[in-house]
Amino acid sequence: MIATPLFRHLFPALLAMLLCVAPVAAQQPSAVNPTASSVTEKQLLDALKPNSTDTIAGRVSIPDVRAGNLIQPTGVEFRAYQTTTIFQVGAIAIPGMLALLALFYLIRGRVRIQGGPSAQTIVRFAWFSRFVHWMTATSFIALGLSGLNLVFGKTLLLPVIGASAFSAMSQLGKFVHDYVSFAFALGIFLMFVMWVKDNLPALRDIRWIVQFGGMLGFGHPTADRFNAGQKLMFWATILGGGTLAVSGYIMMFRPVSFAISAMQLATVVHGLTGVVLVAIILAHIYIGTVGMEGAFRAMGRGTVDLNWAKEHHSVWVEKVARKRPKDISGGPAPAPAE
Amino acid sequence: MARMKFLCDADRCIECNACVTACKNENDVPWGINRRRVVTINDGKPGERSVSMACMHCTDAPCAAVCPVDCFYTTADAVVLHSKDLCIGCGYCFYACPFGAPQYPKAANFGSRGKMDKCTYCAGGPEADNSPEEFAQYGGNRLAEGKLPLCAEMCSTKALLAGDGQIIAQIYKERVAKRGYGSGAWGWKTAYKEDIAT
Amino acid sequence: MLTKRSDTKTRRARLAHIDAHGHTPLDRRSFLRNAGMTATGLAAVGTLGAATVQKAHALPPVDLGKPTTVKKNICTHCSVGCTVTAEVQNGVWVGQEPSWDSPINRGTHCAKGAAIREIVFGDRRLKYPMKLVDGEYNKISWAQALDEISAKMLEIREKSGPESVWWLGSAKFTNEAAYLYRKMAAFWGTNSVDHQARICHSTTVAGVANTWGYGAQTNSYNDIRNSKTMIIMGGNPAEAHPVSLQHVLTGKEINRANLIVIDPRMTRTAAHATEYVRIRAGTDIPVIYGLLYHIFENGWEDKTFIEQRVHGMNDVRAEAKKWDPKTVEDVTGVPGEQLKRVAEMFAKQKPSTLIWCMGATQHTVGTANVRAYCTLLLATGNVGAPGTGANIFRGHTNVQGATDLGLDVITLPLYYGLDDNAWRHWSRVWEVDFEWLDGRFDKKPGPNNTTINYRSLPGIPSTRWFDAVTIAKDQIDQRDTLKAAIVFGHGGNTVPRMPEMMKGLAALDLLVVADPHPTNFVSLAGRKNGTYLLPIATSLECDGSRTASNRSLQWGEKIVEPIFESATDYWAIYELAKRLGFADKMFKNIAMVKGKFGDEPEAESILREINKGGFSTGYCGQSPERLKAHMKNQKHFDIVTLKANADAPAEIAGDHYGLPWPCWGTPAQRHPGTPLLYNTNLHVKDGGGTFRARFGVERMMKVKAQENGQEIEKEVKENLLAEGSYSLGSEIKDGYPEFTMAVLKKLGWDTDLTADERTTIDKIGGNNIDGVSWATDFSGGIQRVAIAHGCSPFGNAKARANAWNLPDPVPVHREPIYSPRIDLVAKYPTRPDFKSFRMTNAGFSVQKAAVDKGIGKSFPIILTSGRLVEYEGGGEETRSNRWLAELQQDMFVEIHPADAAARGIVEGGWVWVDGPENNAKIKVKALVTERVGKGVAWMPFHFGGWYQGEDQRKNYPAGTDPIVLGESVNIITTYGFDPVTAMHEGKVTLCQIRAA
Repeated sequence: MIATPLFRHLFPALLAMLLCVAPVAAQQPSAVNPTASSVTEKQLLDALKPNSTDTIAGRVSIPDVRAGNLIQPTGVEFRAYQTTTIFQVGAIAIPGMLALLALFYLIRGRVRIQGGPSAQTIVRFAWFSRFVHWMTATSFIALGLSGLNLVFGKTLLLPVIGASAFSAMSQLGKFVHDYVSFAFALGIFLMFVMWVKDNLPALRDIRWIVQFGGMLGFGHPTADRFNAGQKLMFWATILGGGTLAVSGYIMMFRPVSFAISAMQLATVVHGLTGVVLVAIILAHIYIGTVGMEGAFRAMGRGTVDLNWAKEHHSVWVEKVARKRPKDISGGPAPAPAE
Repeated sequence: MARMKFLCDADRCIECNACVTACKNENDVPWGINRRRVVTINDGKPGERSVSMACMHCTDAPCAAVCPVDCFYTTADAVVLHSKDLCIGCGYCFYACPFGAPQYPKAANFGSRGKMDKCTYCAGGPEADNSPEEFAQYGGNRLAEGKLPLCAEMCSTKALLAGDGQIIAQIYKERVAKRGYGSGAWGWKTAYKEDIAT
Repeated sequence: MLTKRSDTKTRRARLAHIDAHGHTPLDRRSFLRNAGMTATGLAAVGTLGAATVQKAHALPPVDLGKPTTVKKNICTHCSVGCTVTAEVQNGVWVGQEPSWDSPINRGTHCAKGAAIREIVFGDRRLKYPMKLVDGEYNKISWAQALDEISAKMLEIREKSGPESVWWLGSAKFTNEAAYLYRKMAAFWGTNSVDHQARICHSTTVAGVANTWGYGAQTNSYNDIRNSKTMIIMGGNPAEAHPVSLQHVLTGKEINRANLIVIDPRMTRTAAHATEYVRIRAGTDIPVIYGLLYHIFENGWEDKTFIEQRVHGMNDVRAEAKKWDPKTVEDVTGVPGEQLKRVAEMFAKQKPSTLIWCMGATQHTVGTANVRAYCTLLLATGNVGAPGTGANIFRGHTNVQGATDLGLDVITLPLYYGLDDNAWRHWSRVWEVDFEWLDGRFDKKPGPNNTTINYRSLPGIPSTRWFDAVTIAKDQIDQRDTLKAAIVFGHGGNTVPRMPEMMKGLAALDLLVVADPHPTNFVSLAGRKNGTYLLPIATSLECDGSRTASNRSLQWGEKIVEPIFESATDYWAIYELAKRLGFADKMFKNIAMVKGKFGDEPEAESILREINKGGFSTGYCGQSPERLKAHMKNQKHFDIVTLKANADAPAEIAGDHYGLPWPCWGTPAQRHPGTPLLYNTNLHVKDGGGTFRARFGVERMMKVKAQENGQEIEKEVKENLLAEGSYSLGSEIKDGYPEFTMAVLKKLGWDTDLTADERTTIDKIGGNNIDGVSWATDFSGGIQRVAIAHGCSPFGNAKARANAWNLPDPVPVHREPIYSPRIDLVAKYPTRPDFKSFRMTNAGFSVQKAAVDKGIGKSFPIILTSGRLVEYEGGGEETRSNRWLAELQQDMFVEIHPADAAARGIVEGGWVWVDGPENNAKIKVKALVTERVGKGVAWMPFHFGGWYQGEDQRKNYPAGTDPIVLGESVNIITTYGFDPVTAMHEGKVTLCQIRAA
């Protein structure tokens, strides 16, 4: 029996209905020769559609339904992904991003506060927001490193530190990956809840993108609490992180109803999303630290220089001044979280 | 040196599961780990065939290729083995394996995978042959005693053959010639990139 | 076949290594305890997830000083007789190796055989004697248990008589234990002693023995390799006897043989057939007549064979004429064309064999089915030659032996029957007073001033014991109803109508379950007191012989001492007999050896006593020494003929493996055993034979004849002896009766007897020396002389196509009690109600009531049952084996996709299956498959421990519950008994299925 796993697992009732359309043995045929009509492996292999997720499957009495797959040809594609695709994608995305950032730094240098620091600060992120950010950030770093180890470690690290040490390290990495994932997933969820309303697309985002946030030319496009760049980062994190969490938990919990091809798909999606998100986050780290003067303290102390805020988030500053004037303080404000 | 293979003659296999319990008996494999299993294709229909399947000890094994910690190795008999000391239970080998051979004990953290376990061709693991350490991790090492895997040795109808690939292919060929039918050397094309011309 | 690598490093090296690491030998208890602790400890540290596979058991203890010993025993799980090779160190079974030398299994096993070592690890075994006190099981000592049991039995004997104690033995007994058990019942004073054969092949034994003399497989598993055409009808050996398929499939391949499977279900066996014939369950007789119709119509029958060796075939011919293809198709569902093809193959591509199992036997027409099968073999001349025969695959390891040795309510050991001659024979063998034995039995006045002696009355069969408990006292033909059941090695879920059985179980004063496992009897709630569980060793922990289905005896060695506090059957029987007051008489000639708990009867010595009295069935030549020599030299026996090859050592030269009975004469006469029964192509001294002259030499028959132009009825004598057929080398070139002293004298052969033989015969005969026969002469002289002249000791007769002493002398179709075809019930009703085995068999009333109620409407699906490869029988033992239990974790029902769809039932979903009696219902999982036809459901019969939807696990004593529990199919199976043997109807009833 060649069963498309999705079909087999999601629509058993439909399958049953199809089966009963088949003629039943009320009046049996007068010749049944099971030996002569035996299936052969060749028939079944030939019947497999190219590029499908079909398996050669049958019945087993043990409860592990996946054990019913006798031969699953998509393993070949998984092997290609694991030995080549993810390696190449990672090798391009991550060093590529680093190169891009270096180039940007060389060309643009550090983005300074044009008006220079003012004496005033404005509250940008309350302690809870910063807590969530850093929880997510640290867990992402742990996940990213332990994840990248599984992609590149065998090539880069294993020859250097030897099999035992590498295995011990990878094993530790796997535990870390499993446990820390919960902090990461929670963080993604909370960030979504906290910041989604400020990250909905707005008309002015178009101008921001067209001017590339003013980073290349002069003059800043107006922005609300988050500019279009930050919004893109937000959505990349939420969607990417969400995808990682969902695919990761599929990998971790291996729901019984998931066919092996679905599990392979989850693994592939997880890996590719992972390396791409690592690359994206590298850009985020760059712009939040060396890339831009005055940006880090938004997540560090929670307050930012008013001039910086006015340059990058003029609309937001106006709103704060109007609604919560006490968020703007005269001198450098003590960081509430400290 | 012999190139060890398995061959299940599905025209002899009656799904008696002797191979499954023989494996448990020899290697003391616990509940939930099935190094070998019997799959019945076209169950209940004329033409039904059962096939006993375990690790086929592939040529250019996919499990070894995808392993992120490189824990697999191939013996001089072409048996694909792995080191549980190195394995981290990532599960990639299960996704790459065409035959569903790798098995994992459930670890206590969210039921995630423990160290992979699979058919060793009754050839143990990297530890010293027939040492208690080897037995504890991998089960018996019959090959080192000059014996073949117990699953094949105990197969009720001699459907499951183990031994040098050329010899068991010859046995199968002769059987097919004698009886006039054969549903194929299941898994050989996938595992060994070859088939038995009958 | 398999290649091996040369460099060897032995397993012992591994084990020695352990010792070098300073492991001290542990006793079993602490070993298990440690294993448990390790598991818990690891679970605790396992939270970090670095878990590796944990061994199911810890490594066994090893003492380097004691090297590995290899012991051979026989697998207990079916009748094929696979040798089990065990490696034992320090009293612990540490490994199992293939038994390459066995000509039966040649190294192989099925799932059960390959997992058999687990049974003797046994952490689910019953560990010590237990007593039920107010609903709680308490540990007690063996002495206390046996004292209390025997006291209660004697009290019942006092109040209600010996017939109120019912003895159930086991097909897992060794021959020696089976014999002792039967002997114990005889000394107690009842014939109510039964075992599993009742519910597996009692109808075979009755049907086959009534046809040609003996109730056993005529050929052997190995001999099937010679067949050109095989029909497997009502059997699924791929699951029930997997190793037999090695021979079947090899035969199929090397001969390009036809393998025809006739079954209501497309089984794993059918998957390898060259022709699969699906029939409606319960229509075997019409199918056989459908085949015979074509055979007679086309003249394909073996006319010479029939003329020389068959009586009454014309009566069959007349019956077959009624079954034209159209009628057959209507009744059975099989197209005429297909049956014609099968008939032609079977009759023309010879040698042909017919293989059957419980699909044939477990019916209200079980005996008639078997008779019909035999008739087909006789009509086509397919008996008594290689590749032919009735290859009856029996169930347990020693069900053949236990049947032979009299665990049967109708006979003493070895089919001597229950008449005075039989009792006198055995009292001579046992060297006890006939009068004393007679005095042990109840008697009651019969009609015309006669006395009815229960010594000669058949007892209560296992299918009806619970009826005999709950029935009104005046409805049962004995002094009182049953008060006690002594059950050795038998499950509680093996017989239909379990709701009725529950009532019987509750009403017993005393229930003793002596078994390695508590069995399903304890899981069925309802008893609060008066129940004892006795831990008995498996036969793997027991010396003794076992008779495989092919009649070969194999000697099994005790692999390890009985584990925990289990005892062997021998010891338990001995200790019980002591307390019942007749051990001195019963064990008078049986030697004692030091056993685990002191003196215990020696298996070898028991076998010698069997040899002494076993002439009727040829159990006389298989001395323990000869059997042990066979086990030692297994590799010298041919895989097809089972004959020792030319280079075999002298101690087995010329023998057939296991000395298949009949093995004539004394051991010293060295008869080689009879691999094929009734085989005229061999000299009797080499294992040849003829059909047995069991039914007289002639029969008065009324025939219609034309005389003076008028049709008159006259009586003629029909010769029942063979005509012109005789075995190779026979000095009598024709039929002859069984040998007695009178016959010897008539032939002038009595002078061939030695003086010693003559003395023994004189002693046996007393004042009727002429009456001493081949079966009662335990000097072996009469047999020796007959064989020396090339004759079968039991005579040379015709087989009977008409067995006039049976209820249906020529088989006729009778619809099952619960039939979906009401129209056919009217035409082919079951037999009228009648009394058998002391109670009424009310099949007809039940069938009529079912039809009147229109049962087919509310219960439209035919329900049949069968076996799974992983489990055996009631299944307690195998469901307690973790290696097996993992493979089948849920009780299920097979249902056709169309029936499932119509009911909204999905694969793997829970369903209720309702039975037509007692409002019984069971909750099982659905397995939607085309193995069964539309309107048919199938269930395995191995499950127990659930009752009508409720898990009964709590009813087991702690730690003895099987790993897997489930509903028993017999909760919903129904009434119906074979008229000859009281076999239950296990294969056809009706049911309804609904999603749960």
